[in-house]
Amino acid sequence: MTNKATGAAIHVHDLNYAYPDGTVALKQVSFEIARGESIALVGPNGAGKSTLLLHLNGILHSTGSRGAVEILGKPIDPKKVHEMPKKIGIVFQNPDDMLFMPLLGDDVAFGPINLGVAKDEVKRRVRESLERVGLAGYETRVSHHLSGGEKKRAAIATVLSMEPEIIAMDEPTANLDPKSRAELIEILKGLKNEGKTLIIITHDVNAIPELADRVIVLNKTVVADGTTREVFSDTEMLQAAGLEIPTIMQFFEVLQAFGYPCDVLPLSIDGAVMNLTQTIKNEAGHVHLHIHKHTHSEVDSARSKYQHHRE
Amino acid sequence: MISEIDRYASLSSPIHRWDPRFRIVSIFTLIFSVVLLYNLQLVIIGMIFAIILTGMSKIPFSFVLARMKLVFIFVIPFFVILPFTFMNTDTGVGIASFGGITLSYRGIEYALFATMIVLKALVAVMLVFPMIGTSRMDITIKALEGLHLPNKLVQMFAFTYRYIFVLDDEFLRTDRALAARGFKKRGNMYTLTTVSKAIAMLFVKSYERADRVFYAMRSKGYTGTIATLHEFHARRQDWINTAIVVGFSLLLQVAATLDTFSATGGFI
Repeated sequence: MTNKATGAAIHVHDLNYAYPDGTVALKQVSFEIARGESIALVGPNGAGKSTLLLHLNGILHSTGSRGAVEILGKPIDPKKVHEMPKKIGIVFQNPDDMLFMPLLGDDVAFGPINLGVAKDEVKRRVRESLERVGLAGYETRVSHHLSGGEKKRAAIATVLSMEPEIIAMDEPTANLDPKSRAELIEILKGLKNEGKTLIIITHDVNAIPELADRVIVLNKTVVADGTTREVFSDTEMLQAAGLEIPTIMQFFEVLQAFGYPCDVLPLSIDGAVMNLTQTIKNEAGHVHLHIHKHTHSEVDSARSKYQHHRE
Repeated sequence: MISEIDRYASLSSPIHRWDPRFRIVSIFTLIFSVVLLYNLQLVIIGMIFAIILTGMSKIPFSFVLARMKLVFIFVIPFFVILPFTFMNTDTGVGIASFGGITLSYRGIEYALFATMIVLKALVAVMLVFPMIGTSRMDITIKALEGLHLPNKLVQMFAFTYRYIFVLDDEFLRTDRALAARGFKKRGNMYTLTTVSKAIAMLFVKSYERADRVFYAMRSKGYTGTIATLHEFHARRQDWINTAIVVGFSLLLQVAATLDTFSATGGFI
């Protein structure tokens, strides 16, 4: 948390939304995100995650939920949506929707120009934002010629240039090759360390421990909200929502079945290294694994937990 | 894939170096000047000038001709229809008759008239290449913005250019998806309905994409106008080029008013 951590960055209270055809998308959604916090928003397809994101800067709103969303302490005024990017920037799922100008530099400059930023400052921001996402010197590139990974990063740059305090992203790591994914995670970690408030919609559970302090599970309404560990420990809820836990957690559950002493399952590879080091130290230099009479059934139960297709 | 008109924008020529704002205004003036002429000789002189400009731009003539071909197909009927349209009128003295259709002297005159119309169309299309084919489309769009064209118009132009490739890709994907499931285009009703359904879906998808792009624009503070950072600096050479091309356009009009060459080439 930063020193600015006074008051909530985002406060959502009893938000409801139905699509024009009557389908309920969001039902009594309530949560609060503190300044500088980093949140992973997870949930099955069609759970209303993207719809929720569009409510955070007032693009979507319904008369029934007027004032339900407060950003940096102020309720959103649907007539002043164009002023929201100063506070909250949204990175859409499909970068082609965000890169609509002829040149990438124009796309990155688009936001700050709209916000009335002075010309020289716009130029500086364009240069810096592109640098931040590893696309230095891409100002005069044509966006439809970029690769998928570059487009994703470019879309983030178009939001960074507006220098919002809160950044919300819709599946930033989806559809990326491993290298691009790793690069993107580094960019997000950088933003987190800088003290930006982040909301990241993702299905990439293995990335969550690195990126988020807290996880909110949405399935039309908030079904769980807690620290990453709390949420990932709630097997029943995750199963009901059709979600899973990081592979490392699943693996250590399997290790437990082989007699590995472990009370708290590590969430990430870093956690696993620490856990192993500690355990080996505690066990006087080595870890003893063995097969006992319940090993088989325990392994099966650990494995079947998140294999939804077997239900 | 849609071929890009700015494929040769990276070449270096006097036309390429010409400030796009000046270039667009000058050549646009020239196009209008040629189109407004009613004198075959003057049109031919305009055409020679257009060929010189295109040659100077170093854009390969094969590239230009390939695109002019399409226009030619559209204007070719003039040749066929006009000479026979004025048959058997009071001044028409018949020279030959093809199964009831008479070709008259007046008809021959109109063949020259048709030639002029076709040439004017070809000159206009040819000049588009040195006009906007010599700088990247984005620069052209910025030049239009720099010329204070109505912002809505510039936006329409910019979006059309940005998304035409996306739509083209999208349709290509649909086309491949159809082919992957054994669809083969034939001249029957089934092909027609399938393709029209695919095109209808393309419209629906475009509409939804437009929605999402609009959301993205609003998320970035869009309020109705688009501004970009652009810097054009007019040099002396830009003014000289403009003076030459605009001067030539005016000269054509002056010559037309003075009825130069009218004895042999004027119509109407």
